[in-house]
Amino acid sequence: MISFYFGRLMEIFPFFLKGLWMTSKIGFISLVTCTLIGFILGIFRSSDSTILKRMVGVYVAFVRGTPFVVQIFIVFFILPEWGVQLEAFSAALLAMAIMGSAFICEIVAGGINSIPKGQWEAATSAGLNRIQQLRLVIIPQAMKVILPPLVGQYVLLIKDTSVVSVIGIMELTRVGWVTVVRIPEGLMVFTLVGFLYFIISYPLILLSNYLEKKMAV
Amino acid sequence: MIEFKNVNKWFDKLHVLNDINLKIPKGEVLVICGPSGSGKSTLIRCINRLEKIQQGQIIVNDTPVHDKSTNLTKLRAEIGFVFQQFHLYPHMTVLQNVMLAPVNVKKIAKTKAEKIALEKLEQVGLTEKSGAYPAQLSGGQQQRVAIARGLVMSPEIMLFDEPTSALDPEMIGEVLDVMVNLVSEGMTMCVVTHEMGFAKKVADRVLFMDEGKIVETGTPGEFFDNPQTDRASEFISKILTH
Repeated sequence: MISFYFGRLMEIFPFFLKGLWMTSKIGFISLVTCTLIGFILGIFRSSDSTILKRMVGVYVAFVRGTPFVVQIFIVFFILPEWGVQLEAFSAALLAMAIMGSAFICEIVAGGINSIPKGQWEAATSAGLNRIQQLRLVIIPQAMKVILPPLVGQYVLLIKDTSVVSVIGIMELTRVGWVTVVRIPEGLMVFTLVGFLYFIISYPLILLSNYLEKKMAV
Repeated sequence: MIEFKNVNKWFDKLHVLNDINLKIPKGEVLVICGPSGSGKSTLIRCINRLEKIQQGQIIVNDTPVHDKSTNLTKLRAEIGFVFQQFHLYPHMTVLQNVMLAPVNVKKIAKTKAEKIALEKLEQVGLTEKSGAYPAQLSGGQQQRVAIARGLVMSPEIMLFDEPTSALDPEMIGEVLDVMVNLVSEGMTMCVVTHEMGFAKKVADRVLFMDEGKIVETGTPGEFFDNPQTDRASEFISKILTH
């Protein structure tokens, strides 16, 4: 019986590859946008401006304090009531960007704040402007602190893409749900789904471990 | 060249600079001493606006430092600052440390900036260390690099905030030697230090601070041998017996 279902599963394997492709696509776009927005927010959060700090602080607290599923529902079902109509794919990307950037913001701000005040003062005295100070002196040093948890966050982001299945996006997890209806062999189906996630995230886990060791020196 | 006019500064309730009036002419070597917490570091940190002031005015070369419209980049390029803890950039080599400001602030071409940077490293006696990272240098060498990093912008003023206080005793001499050489070049210098030997040898004037006020100023001879206030003579006897 199992081998029969296994045969069927292999027949529809291209369907899984499509799901994997969608997961990778959402994952990759999210990593890029979350990193960009996260760095900008992190720089704001570690700035001297109390207003900027507080605004980003409220944003981060809201995102960290609410479940991702709820955030997706807000973006997909509530925003249209205010006139912002998004198709599922865009809504998924937007929700991912909001969620991921908040976590990356905290990692970046932590890294920047770990740099001694004297480095800022030396760069200031040299006449560098704020952006040069960050780009040439602060961020290059902070990357040592930022990189290992950042890559760790990437793994979490990729796994969190599974949540966007709730608004009907045919990514890996949704492919699993749909398949189980036709092939009632849940363990087999979701082992395959899990394995495909693992293929993407394991290299990142290895990279994170490697960076942690390398940066500790 | 540098002028303080009725300058007041508070850290919350602490009155760190209390009605400071001071003129430092071009070419003067001013040594500032006083007990810790007396405001001497804060005083020189206000000159390049590492610290803000709440009242009064500081004028450097006709530029009001604490005006909103002041071009800080230009002002800071004319003032070298040397910190107690060196604050070299640890991710850059010695040469990169020294070249950073000329390339990015003055927009000098890299090859030219490198030439100037090597000249300044030669001046502090560290040409052979140009490829090393700060962590590979001794404290004295790091502080000499920090001085070269300040000099490379050809500043008219050099500010030193306890430049030898973080050094092992046997390394103090090499840093002071570099500073003495600067004096002979006619550099305007404000030096926060307790190195009495340095003060006696090269200072034009010694300024003694306590609790945010300038208590006494005088030539090194006057100040050390014949202090006018009890507070100063108490301080001098303490650093002498120390």
